[in-house]
Amino acid sequence: MAAPTVEQAAQPAEKTAAQADVVIETRNLSKTYRDFWGRQKVRALKALDLEVRRGEIFGLLGPNGSGKTTTIKLLLGLLFPSSGQAYVFGEEAASVKKNEKIGYLPEESYLYKFLNAEETLDFYGRLFDMPAKVRKERAESLINMVGLQWARRRQLREYSKGMTRRIGLAQALINDPNLLLLDEPTSGLDPIGTREMKDLILRLRDEGKTILVCSHLLPDVQDVCDRIAILHQGELKELGRVSDLLRVEDVTQIRARGLSDEVKEEIRNLIQQHGGVVEGIENPTATLEQLFLEIVKDSEARPGRRAPAPAEK
Amino acid sequence: MVIEHDILTFFEWLLPGAGGMGALLTFFLAVALLSVFLTLLAYLFTSVRHGPFEAFYVVAKSIATGVSDVANTSPRRVLALARLAVTEAVRRKVLIAFVVFLLILLFAGWFLDVRSDHPGRLYISFVLTATNYLVLLLALFLAAFSLPNDIKNRTIYTVVTKPVRGTEIILGRVLGFATVGTALLAMMCLVSYLFVVRGLDHGHAAIAETVEEMTDRNSQPIGVRGETTLNSHHRHTFEVDADGYGRTDAQMGHWHEVLAVAGPDGATQYEVGPPQGQLLARVPIYSRGPQPLRFRDRSGQPAEKGISVGDFWTYRDYIEGGSQARAVWTFQDITAEQFPAGLPVEMTLGIFRTHKGDIEQIVRGELEVVNPETEVRSEPISFRPTEFEIFHLDVPRDIRVVDPATQVSRDGDLFEDLVAEDGSTEIWVRCADPGQYYGMSRADLYLLAAERPFFLNFVKGYVSIWLQMVVVICFGVMFSAFLSGAVAMMATLATIVMGFFSGFIVGVFRGVLDPNAPVTEKVLGGGPIESFYRLITQKNVSLELDPSIGAVVIQTIDKGLVILMRTVVMIIPDFGRLGTANYVAYGFNIDGDLLAQHGAVALAYAVTVSLASYFFFKSREIAA
Ligand SMILES: Nc1ncnc2c1ncn2[C@@H]1O[C@H](COP(=O)(O)OP(=O)(O)O)[C@@H](O)[C@H]1O
Ligand SMILES: [Mg+2]
Repeated sequence: MAAPTVEQAAQPAEKTAAQADVVIETRNLSKTYRDFWGRQKVRALKALDLEVRRGEIFGLLGPNGSGKTTTIKLLLGLLFPSSGQAYVFGEEAASVKKNEKIGYLPEESYLYKFLNAEETLDFYGRLFDMPAKVRKERAESLINMVGLQWARRRQLREYSKGMTRRIGLAQALINDPNLLLLDEPTSGLDPIGTREMKDLILRLRDEGKTILVCSHLLPDVQDVCDRIAILHQGELKELGRVSDLLRVEDVTQIRARGLSDEVKEEIRNLIQQHGGVVEGIENPTATLEQLFLEIVKDSEARPGRRAPAPAEK
Repeated sequence: MVIEHDILTFFEWLLPGAGGMGALLTFFLAVALLSVFLTLLAYLFTSVRHGPFEAFYVVAKSIATGVSDVANTSPRRVLALARLAVTEAVRRKVLIAFVVFLLILLFAGWFLDVRSDHPGRLYISFVLTATNYLVLLLALFLAAFSLPNDIKNRTIYTVVTKPVRGTEIILGRVLGFATVGTALLAMMCLVSYLFVVRGLDHGHAAIAETVEEMTDRNSQPIGVRGETTLNSHHRHTFEVDADGYGRTDAQMGHWHEVLAVAGPDGATQYEVGPPQGQLLARVPIYSRGPQPLRFRDRSGQPAEKGISVGDFWTYRDYIEGGSQARAVWTFQDITAEQFPAGLPVEMTLGIFRTHKGDIEQIVRGELEVVNPETEVRSEPISFRPTEFEIFHLDVPRDIRVVDPATQVSRDGDLFEDLVAEDGSTEIWVRCADPGQYYGMSRADLYLLAAERPFFLNFVKGYVSIWLQMVVVICFGVMFSAFLSGAVAMMATLATIVMGFFSGFIVGVFRGVLDPNAPVTEKVLGGGPIESFYRLITQKNVSLELDPSIGAVVIQTIDKGLVILMRTVVMIIPDFGRLGTANYVAYGFNIDGDLLAQHGAVALAYAVTVSLASYFFFKSREIAA
């Protein structure tokens, strides 16, 4: 089964452009968790074949326990595959060298609770062999970016879930990685944090980074991902571009403002005359997310006052 | 103090030569054997999972990765991880260990009884032993729980997904905990030094009423003698010569200087100085050669051994008083440059009395220095030893010697007449009182080459503890690389305990498997199960078990167990031998060569065990 590596090593010159653009590649990747005695417990991942290309945001979707985290751990070498291979930047997942260009945000932020934000970033900077000056600059700009200036000297044990998430993200970006593996990046974040996280992901993509996001929160993924894979019980169920997967070919949506009831009725009749089926004509409701974001924006503009609900306006 | 092993110089010890194949070669041989064994084991395990062919590839590759990881280890990352380990230890409040240590000393100050015969030894061995156990325990906890905690809290995920090598994770831990331990040890060393010095310090005053004149045969005054007050559970007698200078007798391992000074009313007063002679670091030169200590029996004939006086465990041989029986120590490489003023001899003698009588009575002895080539001997120098106390005797340079042919005595020179061309000389000791016996062993008589500062020796004792600590840390980290915290701790603890009792385990091994071994070199009573059986049935260890199926089963299992234990003991460090507390407590300088050897042994363990830790860690599936 080791043949592919040998081939790759033997013919580096013949790599095609497409191959060079593949950042993550898994072949037949499977994982079975076993207990201490070697007895099979869970088949968490079954023969996954996947390619993630340079510069895209790839979403790994699936309900809880579908094998998303397992996939990421296999890619990082935290788990050894039961069979199959995983390559990152063309190197085996177990190699240390690939870590130079990777940033990883775990499911929960597994950071040292007895360090504060500055010490944390300094520590991880050292692990990249960064000189002191670079470490300081990086830490400074990342703390600003994730908005933790006010808590930089506090030990992480005092952090709230959202704050921990932010420092976790800063930690993942300390080396300005080319590839980011984000495990449930928005879990534990409030809607503003979620929005910021999504914006950040898009910005990082625009900087040319490749991003693998795994999540069970579909709206998050829908907003940002270029391509997605859907896992269920360790099996790949769907793979493709988000726009392709979600386009509903035979439905047409019309949005208009200022129509009277008569005009609506006329349109309905017109559609029926042409043999179409009207599925619904109604007033759209704003999402709760939009509402929440508006209230917060309003409250920041006029602090202290209870923001009136839009309905009262 | 028992000297069990000759101290070779560092290079004699390290390199092949007269003493065998040398430590370095032994080390490489052991490491080679062990690595071959472990590689095979790893191969077997991998084969079960991947099949024999792929397993070969996997094992070869992990060795190759290992080599590259060792070569690419970055000091900055190691230091970062070490710093983290230190921060972790400090924030987990290891300094409490130091507070515990202070509390122990505080209590010890109350109940360490200065009524002991040797408060100095008691104090020194107490602080060294307490520090030793405390520091090893601390090292054990720090090292065994750190990595498993990191894995349990999954903080290790964010570390191993950085370009961090397994070597750096292991080394960083070892270095970090060693730093913490070093800082603690340094503080403990200083505090316990003060504790020993302050705890042993005391003063006496001369009691004026007891002072009386001493006169020689012609009734000329030659000084005074008197008694001191009772302090710290003892009093001394003292003698002061006509020049006003004197000293007390030795009590509880020390003496005081006494000076005559003019008091305010013009009368002479005697001032007793601080205690001396209990905080020493003597550099002894022991007898050497094919027969460092030999005996002559009561008729003066060469004898293999002295007499055993029945005490089973004694390591001393006895010679009979008032006869021709002698004990003969041979010294080598004795030069006038080293001992310009003559030979300073120090000895400790066991005394065995056959008649009842005054138990306090001193049993006189005689000492001769003999040239082994020409057999010219000095006139006997008589001495009056205190039992089980080291006493000092200077053999002067200008000395009366006796020629063997003529039996005429003349004035001679110690080095010209009594030391052979090759630098060897002999010291013969006999007991002068009939019916009494002197007991002696090789280490009981030595030449005092120098005295070194006690504080330095005390620090060397701490260096020994430090070496043990480093080895324990390495073992703790190794076990924690593949076991959970509690199990890793138990495994490390077992290693330490077996290391301290390795001599005992070897004895048990001989007792079970080598019926011809001398009684003094084996432990009776069988292996672990048999001795447990004997314990609950209260059977005497020297009786054979009744031959029954049960006994055979027990003894067969025991054989397997002791072979296993013996093998383990061969691999793990002999902590008992790394310890040097006795040297410090008994006032002997810790030889630099000895310390260097211990250092090399500890380093060898640190390197190999850390390497093993690396492979254990590397082969572990971290997120499983
Ligand atoms: N360390 C483990 N030991 C045993 N089973 C595990 C372990 N980690 C995850 N699993 C199981 O593997 C399956 C996939 O888990 P995971 O990859 O964490 O899912 P997801 O991240 O998609 O929620 C689940 O059924 C889970 O119970
Ligand atoms: Mg998950």
